[in-house]
Amino acid sequence: MKKKKIDASGIAAYVFLILLATLFIIPALWALLSTFKQNRDIVMNGFTFLPQKWTIENYVKVITNTTNAPIVRWAFNSLVICFCHVGLMLLISSMAAYGYQRMHFKGRNRLFVTLMLLSMIPGVVNLIPQYIIVDRFGWVDTPLACIVPGLAGVGNIFLIKQFMYGIPKEMDEAALVDGASYWKIYSRIILPTIKPVLVVVSLFSFTSCWNDFLWPSIVFNDVSNITLSAGLQLLQGMYDTHSAGTMLTGAIVAMIPTFVLYLIAQKYFIQTMSFAAAVKG
Amino acid sequence: MEAISSVCSMTGKEKGLVREKSFFKKYEHLLFIGPHLILFTVFVLIPLVFGFYIALSKWDMITQPTFTGLENFRMILLDKDSTFYRQFWNGLKNTVIFVLIALPPSILIPFAVALAISNRFLKAKKFFQSVFYIPGLMSITAVGIVFSMVFNRDLGIMNALFQNDVIWSRQQPYAWLMIVLVSVWWGIGGNMVIYIAAIAGVDRGLYEAAEIDGAGSWAKFRYVTLPGVKAQILYTTVMSTSACFNLYGQPVMLTSGGPNESTKPLMMYIRELAFGSGTSIAGIGSAMAFLLGLIILAISLTQFRFMDFNKEE
Repeated sequence: MKKKKIDASGIAAYVFLILLATLFIIPALWALLSTFKQNRDIVMNGFTFLPQKWTIENYVKVITNTTNAPIVRWAFNSLVICFCHVGLMLLISSMAAYGYQRMHFKGRNRLFVTLMLLSMIPGVVNLIPQYIIVDRFGWVDTPLACIVPGLAGVGNIFLIKQFMYGIPKEMDEAALVDGASYWKIYSRIILPTIKPVLVVVSLFSFTSCWNDFLWPSIVFNDVSNITLSAGLQLLQGMYDTHSAGTMLTGAIVAMIPTFVLYLIAQKYFIQTMSFAAAVKG
Repeated sequence: MEAISSVCSMTGKEKGLVREKSFFKKYEHLLFIGPHLILFTVFVLIPLVFGFYIALSKWDMITQPTFTGLENFRMILLDKDSTFYRQFWNGLKNTVIFVLIALPPSILIPFAVALAISNRFLKAKKFFQSVFYIPGLMSITAVGIVFSMVFNRDLGIMNALFQNDVIWSRQQPYAWLMIVLVSVWWGIGGNMVIYIAAIAGVDRGLYEAAEIDGAGSWAKFRYVTLPGVKAQILYTTVMSTSACFNLYGQPVMLTSGGPNESTKPLMMYIRELAFGSGTSIAGIGSAMAFLLGLIILAISLTQFRFMDFNKEE
């Protein structure tokens, strides 16, 4: 122990991880490199790892497309939808969590348990009727179709509520006795203290919103209104293997935002998962 | 609440004011939980009831639905001559095949990775963690495009590497293999992070005690690590099972459900029935969705029950 000389288990860990990591990285790296190849070269040469002649023509082609695969527009749509969704989710979920955790009213716990149980019903059941409702509201083909329905979830309220549980009640009860309103306590005392869990649920919601695929592929008819993730399916249908480089470029461009988000908020991402598991487990 | 009103009355304010205030205060909680309750009602409760009604009706999403009772369920489950019967059972079969072949690797591989990353000699933990975590942040459509090229017969890596001539998306068992490999690449990050946290949470003292008792690496793993992370293994198993049952994006992007609809999961049939290019058959779609939902719910509950998940709480 003291000498810290690597033992068999350490060597095995290294070998295993390096091998597996290589297997994980190679496809992504090859895809990235292929975006710099000319489509003609890809088709003629078949498999190569490095580009024969480096070019950024695929990027130019993908980014300047504003008609049948407007990827910049799609990314913009996704950004608007996800930021609105996450913002509203934070407000609504934290308010509800405050209500269920701190306020006293008849049937409070029973109501919350009922919500939790109902939310265990798999989402596939709601897919078709939810579409009908969104359609009745006139939201089909508008960002609202992707922003609002997801706000009904109970999971985030549960996570925030669990976190609030650990905040000493004396703090807000003292303020209550001093005559502060619930809203004031919520906005001035509770919100600042629950920031860590809010970061966690934001990242969670943002990535799942960004990557959602089935729902946006249903609620948008107009190509220019669709989200990036659903748009890529169209991209796949549009280009065949003769434009493999262009298609891969679309995929790589779509990966950039979440990748950058990860690099910025890496620490929180890792916290997020273990936090969620610790609370739920 | 009582405490507040008594405080108010003690300060000697007018009685009427207090009563008016407490009426507002009695329902003040609605201000906080109300917005979510409304959303929950509109987007979860009503769809649930409405969806069940659709499932009991014949409906094309345009004209008025006709109530047909359990006819949809009878056709789907029992009517051997019906297309819907074939679609449902084929979709369910494919979904179950995926669950059976994809579930073990999506638990075991991230667990092995987590064990290796938690090894006390290992450096660059952050790097390895990122390598396995980042794929899960990408949308399945982007991942699908990348891997449909990776597995492409003429220009992909796989055939260049193994010197064969397989069209992965059109030949079995390669189509399933491709879907499972991509699912593992895409999906192990979350479970891995949970396991790393779980392993870090195991009491160090237990390892030392085991060492004093002369336990080797295997014994320590078997009698200290495994019991210590049991709760997280069970949790992730339940979650991954229901995630596998919701299989949709991978076959859509990689195989289009082929060859011969042999990788077409139930979700794909449901989507096509309700939102396909032809006339919508929303009633059948909703009935199938309810059946799938029921299966997922039943399996989750059985797993929770069987694994005695809440014992420690």
